[in-house]
Amino acid sequence: MESEPALSELILLVAGGDRRALRAIYQRESTRLFGIANAVLRDRDTAADAVHDAFVKIAARAGQYDATRGVASAWLGAIVRYAALDIARTRGREIPTDDPALGDTAIAPEAIALLDAKVEGARLRACLLTLEERIRQGIILAFVHGLSHAQVAARLDEPLGTVKSWIRRGLLRLRDCLA
Amino acid sequence: MTPPLLLTPEERQALAAEYVLGTLDAATARRVEEAAARDPVLAGEIADWEVALAPLQALAAPQAPPPALWDRIAATLDPAPTRTAPRARGWFWPAWSFGATAVAGSLAAILLMRPPAPPERLMTVLLSSQDQPAWVVEGDRGGLRLAALNPRAAPADRTLQLWALPQGATVPTSLGLIPRESGQVRVSPSQIRPEPGMLIEITLEPPGGSPTGRPTGPILFIGRLAPASGT
Repeated sequence: MESEPALSELILLVAGGDRRALRAIYQRESTRLFGIANAVLRDRDTAADAVHDAFVKIAARAGQYDATRGVASAWLGAIVRYAALDIARTRGREIPTDDPALGDTAIAPEAIALLDAKVEGARLRACLLTLEERIRQGIILAFVHGLSHAQVAARLDEPLGTVKSWIRRGLLRLRDCLA
Repeated sequence: MTPPLLLTPEERQALAAEYVLGTLDAATARRVEEAAARDPVLAGEIADWEVALAPLQALAAPQAPPPALWDRIAATLDPAPTRTAPRARGWFWPAWSFGATAVAGSLAAILLMRPPAPPERLMTVLLSSQDQPAWVVEGDRGGLRLAALNPRAAPADRTLQLWALPQGATVPTSLGLIPRESGQVRVSPSQIRPEPGMLIEITLEPPGGSPTGRPTGPILFIGRLAPASGT
């Protein structure tokens, strides 16, 4: 009865140059991580590029992982999301797109219920629900789907400056709520 | 080129949040990363936001990656000579492997008679994120040498910096900036002792190199030193 090593233990092994540990992380997490990249990029080839870049970074930066600051899966997810955002930015994300497949599903009320799975998720959900709906949508579209301010503004059909200040205020309110 | 970020506490807080949210444009995001490398308060705020917003990761629907993706990652991290240059050397390997079987016995006998010596020559090919061979690195007792396989210049306001990460180490050592014209670097043995398994990487940094002594920009090329075959 051997239990699986925790993700954080695998990351420690990766910091020591252990490729099998990195592969174990990939096997366990790649479906979730690829989903994160593909939600931002909406293109399987570039999402694969992002996950590739992210694992190269994970191999190089595993020594910087600090288990006292957040859970391992969130650390991995953040690296993948930044890699995806980097690609989205170099592809000229600033041009507003109007992808009809985007938005409505992710911001439906039931989607936000997914956050309840863990304690931190439930708290974040409760705090998100204190925000005005459009601001909440803007924050989720930006984080999950990698939309820029301009794209969020186009989707919500509001002026760019208005959306920028909404999101900024929304984030600061979230912070106060979570504190 | 880019001016430093001069921030009030409120601006810094908002910028950290927007960086994590992902809404900043490329240039501003890069400046925040550079500033965070020097500013522990900003770095701490970014880390706090990452933790706070991390549950949102669950809203992205899980999706299986393409089946070949792990092999591609493994090839980037540990570029074996057989994998990085199969076309150029394809004719060579069948003959080599046939001969190798034949000499393996006698080679083993020779090795048994000598104390094990460290490999004489190490090398790696650094691959781009598109898996294209971009740089070759050779290491031996005379230090480390880097040469460009095909000329690639950094953007005008950036510089490429070379790093080594010995196995087991967590902080890479800077081996210096890569001259724009020659694309070549020689590192003396007093600065670095090449060893098998050492990661060599090239990052994109501000002019004059990383201000922190650690990589601050993205890793553009990476490879791992391994004994050169055939010596």
